[in-house]
Amino acid sequence: MQNGVLAGLRRRSPVAGLDRRNLGPAEVLAQSVSSAAPAAGMATVPAFVAVTAGTATVWSFALATGLALLVAACIAQFTRRMAAAGSLYSLTAKGLGPGAAFASGAALLSGYAVLVMAALTGAAVYTDALLERLGWRAPPAVGAAAVVLLAAVAGALVLRGVRVSARTVLAVEAVSITLMVVIFVVLLGAPPAPAAPGGPPGDLAGIAAGVLPALGAFIGFEAATTLGVEARRPFVSVPRAVLATAVLVGLLSILAAYTQVVGFAGALGGQPEPVLTLAAVHGAPWLASLLDLGIATSFVACTLATTNALVRVLFSMGRDGIAPRALGATHRRYRTPHIAIAVALPVVAAVPAVLLAAGMTGPDALRLLLAVATAGYLVGYLLVCLAAPLFLRRIGELTPGPVVATVIAVPALALACGAFVVSALDAAAPVVLAALLVAAAAWYAWLRLRRPRELAGIGVYDETSALDVHGARPP
Amino acid sequence: MTGLDPLPLSGRQPRAVRSALAVLEEVVAAGPGVTAKEISAALKLPQATTYRLLNLLVGEEYLVRLPDLRGFALGRRSARLAPHAAPAPPTAARAVVEHLRGLVRWGVHLASYATGQVTLVDRDPDHPPTEDALLARYPHASALGKVLLADQPDWRGVIRDLRRLTEQTVVDAAALDRQLATVTTTGLAQQFGELRPDRGCLAVPIRSPADDTLVAGLALAGPPNRIAEADGRVVELLREHAERLAPLLG
Repeated sequence: MQNGVLAGLRRRSPVAGLDRRNLGPAEVLAQSVSSAAPAAGMATVPAFVAVTAGTATVWSFALATGLALLVAACIAQFTRRMAAAGSLYSLTAKGLGPGAAFASGAALLSGYAVLVMAALTGAAVYTDALLERLGWRAPPAVGAAAVVLLAAVAGALVLRGVRVSARTVLAVEAVSITLMVVIFVVLLGAPPAPAAPGGPPGDLAGIAAGVLPALGAFIGFEAATTLGVEARRPFVSVPRAVLATAVLVGLLSILAAYTQVVGFAGALGGQPEPVLTLAAVHGAPWLASLLDLGIATSFVACTLATTNALVRVLFSMGRDGIAPRALGATHRRYRTPHIAIAVALPVVAAVPAVLLAAGMTGPDALRLLLAVATAGYLVGYLLVCLAAPLFLRRIGELTPGPVVATVIAVPALALACGAFVVSALDAAAPVVLAALLVAAAAWYAWLRLRRPRELAGIGVYDETSALDVHGARPP
Repeated sequence: MTGLDPLPLSGRQPRAVRSALAVLEEVVAAGPGVTAKEISAALKLPQATTYRLLNLLVGEEYLVRLPDLRGFALGRRSARLAPHAAPAPPTAARAVVEHLRGLVRWGVHLASYATGQVTLVDRDPDHPPTEDALLARYPHASALGKVLLADQPDWRGVIRDLRRLTEQTVVDAAALDRQLATVTTTGLAQQFGELRPDRGCLAVPIRSPADDTLVAGLALAGPPNRIAEADGRVVELLREHAERLAPLLG
């Protein structure tokens, strides 16, 4: 029965210990949607895009959706064929090799960690705004305390089991999206705003420049790739979740952009609080509280979903041996990476808590953190798109379609990265990014020196074990 | 479990179904490790179509990708397409089981694990056991099933649904983890009214002397309170006969 090929099968999956094959498609989808946090994007991103795209803002979002779909298609080439917990980094390893996989891992690790920090900050900022609207002006220390409290709750849920946290994410995100759709439909149905001076004409260059901020609304949409091991039918539900999230976030963003462009009669660019202004103009100030609630819940769901993703990247790095191996341990009862949770959460809670307690205003902290996170994600997307056709060629399944996707997506993402660097030059973000880059380079050098074998074997995933194959006997 | 599309077959779908079955058959014919390119060439199917069909079959778990991600093999789910009966035990083995029946007052059953499930191959005629389908489907609730689960690298790959069959059924994954750890260390599985309220069971593994793989299980079944009070002598008899069965079944 046992021939040469099957004799090499492992007895246990290298990611054993996680709660294998237990999540339904809705829970996997919620992970991606929540991590992208569409509510916050709907409220804030169109105004940034409109600075350059003017009345053509909707087209920038359409282009960004197209680009996100191409990235999703590249990711799907991997997720239809392998189930991993380490997100794009484990996937990139199968196409580009260890060096690029490490770069992707370091970029995503900082991307996820900083996005959790941003989501914690965002939740605190919008809860604070909501309380203020209800008549309670909280001192800054309350914001910091809220961050720590939310981080503790998120940590407990993420530890308690992937099913519990995924279902919580699903419920919270459903509330958030429902609120946002209600708000925007009400605004759309309201009488048009009094004529305002027209914005800049949306020429082609302006539309293209608007794609980068528009892309910001999609950041995090790949998060379902961290649930490959835990999804019940990973090869179906993970690629679908990522594609569906790109579509959903695209549609919601286009709805939000259209509503705001029409509402401001073309003068949307640079509005600080566009949705609130619209609500006030239309005589519906109660929408403001609803909006704060919708965004705050979106950030809560984002905190949970991105924490799930972050600890699974750490877990995979621990199992790969490029990070302390203890990070690859799992809790016997809850079947979650408990050491990674214990290490990561204090860090991601401390940074925003300190920033807020030190007197940085919430919105400033949020902007800085989002800029840093975006950089990490863009690098991750760029590398995985580059890796897809190489991976397919390696396993002998290359067809023209994926090559076309890569040929379009990679230059577009490279342009976006370049534009991002230019746009971020005047803020504090470059300093933080440079520091992270130096840290990653030092880490890489140490691995080359001390753990060359582990580095070469990077890219752990839920590979087929003897138990999964009909007719193979466990070794 | 899987939500199937209720739409009727239309257009080119019948051809796609035929092609998918041909791909499945080709993997069996070529043996584990066959690559997508080889399948496409052997069936004269366009490459893109073959890759899509393969990904579909992997998604449904009829096929698996081997660790190099290039080669394919039949997945566990394919076993359901061609159920093969567990081989009947040899006469010498039946005689050993019959001998034990003469020594105890309870039902004695022999199960084979050759199919990856609990399959009774020698039932006690005087004490009819629980029906086969229940034993095969809910291994977490029977002593013979617990012996099988304790031998798996991860029992969660074998069952997903810890269904409650009686008040006593273990439905908590962590509690089952602990039970199975005890089975591994003591080499004895037990259940009291977990499958049926009026039945308890003791079971011991029978391992092949050649390579120590689990091949069968020997069980004693009776009223749960009586089984719970079974003394060491009964367990010793059970183990002794299991040992005598090992060279006959392994």
